Amino acid sequence: MGGKKSPLQVTAARLWQWPFLPAVVMATAGVLLDWWGRPGLGLIFLGVAVWSGLVVNHLRTQLAQAEKPRLLMEERLLQTQKLAALGEMAAGISHEINNPLAIIRQEAEWLEELLKVARFQDASQLGEFRDSLGEIIRQVERAREVTSKVLDLARERRAVIQKLDLNRLLEDMARLVEEEARKRQIIIKRNFAENLPPLESDGPLLRQALLNLLLNALQAIKTEGGEITLTTTWVDPDHVKIAVRDTGEGMAADIRAKIFLPFFTTKPPGQGTGLGLAITQTIIHKLGGTITVASAPQQGSTFTIMLPLLWEEQEELP
Amino acid sequence: MEKFRVLIVDDEDDFRETIVKRLRARKLEVEGVESGEAALKAVEAQDFDVVVLDVRMPGLDGIETLKELKKKKPLTEVIMLTGHASVESGIQGMQLGAFDYVMKPVPLDELLDKMRQAYERKCLQEGII
Repeated sequence: MGGKKSPLQVTAARLWQWPFLPAVVMATAGVLLDWWGRPGLGLIFLGVAVWSGLVVNHLRTQLAQAEKPRLLMEERLLQTQKLAALGEMAAGISHEINNPLAIIRQEAEWLEELLKVARFQDASQLGEFRDSLGEIIRQVERAREVTSKVLDLARERRAVIQKLDLNRLLEDMARLVEEEARKRQIIIKRNFAENLPPLESDGPLLRQALLNLLLNALQAIKTEGGEITLTTTWVDPDHVKIAVRDTGEGMAADIRAKIFLPFFTTKPPGQGTGLGLAITQTIIHKLGGTITVASAPQQGSTFTIMLPLLWEEQEELP
Repeated sequence: MEKFRVLIVDDEDDFRETIVKRLRARKLEVEGVESGEAALKAVEAQDFDVVVLDVRMPGLDGIETLKELKKKKPLTEVIMLTGHASVESGIQGMQLGAFDYVMKPVPLDELLDKMRQAYERKCLQEGII
């Protein structure tokens, strides 16, 4: 802010901060008047004082409430801009890292070729050499997986809109994970809405998002046995809801708050890049929808996606 | 938009030959090849609208083939065909730009439906529709 303020402005600001200040002054005056033998006037003073205080206080709360959504929006916009900038940077780094990774891999494979004609004094050395090379290639692949996911997250996606059968799409993805679920005695339940109208959306993007949620649900169930419930609901004429619920270990509020952040993961190092849900959220926003999560420790988690049935071109965020 | 060109990539000869025959009976232009390497050669030599790609093949596997294919022909739509369910390969495939995943055995009508949708998407991307 800064700049000089007129005495009037200063007074107004003070009044705003302490709405009951004039009331206190007037009340004091009222009591004094009362004391001087003018009880009627004192009472009126007191009344006006209390009333004005109440009015200003009321105005203040109203204004604060009106501010709230705007502040929330600004916060969200800032968050999106920050993520976009971060994404761009991460994508740049990924590109730079991919090149040396490709060379390392290439050289390791060349060494593998050379190994075929190499001679060792001790046969066990050959084995060790080969193991070591194999490990180098595996680790390069691991790093490549991270960079490719980062690039995927930052990739500009243009949605290609087609009419989709949401239930069928979800069923296809469920079938893809079903065998893995069965191995761990996890049941996938379907709770699909009947007579769902066709959904205008991008099939491959939606499949990717749903598959990520299914994988996440599978991984959240750490014990043998459990349930994943897939629900589709036609909530109102213009929206469908997709819910993926698991009976997994759930999560506390502090983890829940960070779950969509890129690189946030609760998995041990090397087992997850922490990008799955970030990618899912990016996709759902791209499709004009929202994604939320409800969860508590030992209570499982439910991810809920809301999507518009009819496609409308999304405004690009800066 | 009924007439489009399809490439079937699968190392199981019986499966590939039968499906090619049945799709030809539906008046589609269909070719079949037995490996990822052959698929990459085929898309270089000729334009295909939709490629149906088996995930598990000796040599270049489905995921590697998809990667290379998308580099050469980003607009060609690819439907992944899989005999076994795998979340990881599914996620990888979708991330690499596959149009859809189909589990074997797949009813022909269902596959045909998906191929039509994939073709429609290609047309949308090219701005034909």
